[in-house]
Amino acid sequence: MLLNLYSAVALAALLIFGLALLAAAVWRPYVKKLNLPAAWKQYRFGFPTFALIFLAFDMEMIFMYPWAVVFRSIGLEAFLDMLVFIAILLAGLAYAWKMGGLEWE
Amino acid sequence: MGIIGGALFTLLTLMVGAALTFFLERTLTPAVGAAQSLKLSKDLQLAHADRWMYPAGPVSALFGVTVAAAVLPFGPSLIGADLGIGAFYFIVVVDFVVLGVALGGWGAGTRDAVEGFYRITAQLVSYVVPLGLAYVGALMMAASLSTTQIVQAQRDVWFIVLQPLGFILYLVTGLMQAYRAPFYEPFSEHLGGGMLSVIGDWKALALRIAMAGLLFVVSAMGAVLYLGGWLGPWLPPPVWMLLKTFALMALMLWLGRRFQPLSTAQMLSLAWRILIPTGLLNVLIVGGLILAGVGPQ
Repeated sequence: MLLNLYSAVALAALLIFGLALLAAAVWRPYVKKLNLPAAWKQYRFGFPTFALIFLAFDMEMIFMYPWAVVFRSIGLEAFLDMLVFIAILLAGLAYAWKMGGLEWE
Repeated sequence: MGIIGGALFTLLTLMVGAALTFFLERTLTPAVGAAQSLKLSKDLQLAHADRWMYPAGPVSALFGVTVAAAVLPFGPSLIGADLGIGAFYFIVVVDFVVLGVALGGWGAGTRDAVEGFYRITAQLVSYVVPLGLAYVGALMMAASLSTTQIVQAQRDVWFIVLQPLGFILYLVTGLMQAYRAPFYEPFSEHLGGGMLSVIGDWKALALRIAMAGLLFVVSAMGAVLYLGGWLGPWLPPPVWMLLKTFALMALMLWLGRRFQPLSTAQMLSLAWRILIPTGLLNVLIVGGLILAGVGPQ
């Protein structure tokens, strides 16, 4: 049953790859040359701290999905557990905010 | 529905949805950002493009929206593949669009496209966590990740009534996820359209379908999570689902037009200072509501 479901997804993906290949083979419009400068230059990568905090919060989200599903059956205990978890993360966010981490550099 | 039926239904969903989205968007919004017109009738040859990464971008984006369309329910059994982890799976596979634009932008090797690659990564960093929090509220009430179960849980009352805060959060983060105004910085005019301006022929077609399909799947998921999916009186289920999807899409596009486009820095700031604390607050409110006995039992 499970295999059937994922086979349907895989077949849909295969079909769309096939359609893309078909389009690539059939669609031959005229070619226009663009002379743009090469991309090797300095860029402003302004969100390093955001990216670091993001890792922590993204991991938290992974834990939150199973928690959300079983929340109703466990009840108050699950609520308090997550309260502690969220409080620790919010403390981290507040710390990063106060230290000027939530700024575009 | 079987393997072949499910796959064909997925493709049908995506194609019909993307086509309707394309026409709705053309009538409702100016052609900027992700909605700008692409060069379908000519192939662009770039001096510094990577041979494999450049075409892999549009294909990856198209793959993402296709497999995401598989879990959109249009009726109790009218769904491509009713996966047990549907909602979580959806969040994961939609991000293949980001991977696609990043691959294509880096592979195109022009300054604007590579800049767009950095901007779209920043957009991912800003929307993923608040979007997940907008999902979690609905998942807690439905007590399931399966999209059909989430809709069934809204038989008595839609989740938009029980958690309006979560719905507003979904509107904002959905616009971020779909790169529509005011959050279209990776494809904005001061990057010259970003990656979209340096792509042509079949790659442009694939990206066009992916961009329209992206807005469609995001609105459809919003209808599933907060507007009760296919549920409704008189009309058949698929009609209700399409009506709700496009009503939500029109609302999002209309709301998005009323704000100035945000720069990447402003968007990161908005997400981390306002949306994430709001999302955590919404999770706590919903938890309290469930403990108080509100919602489906």
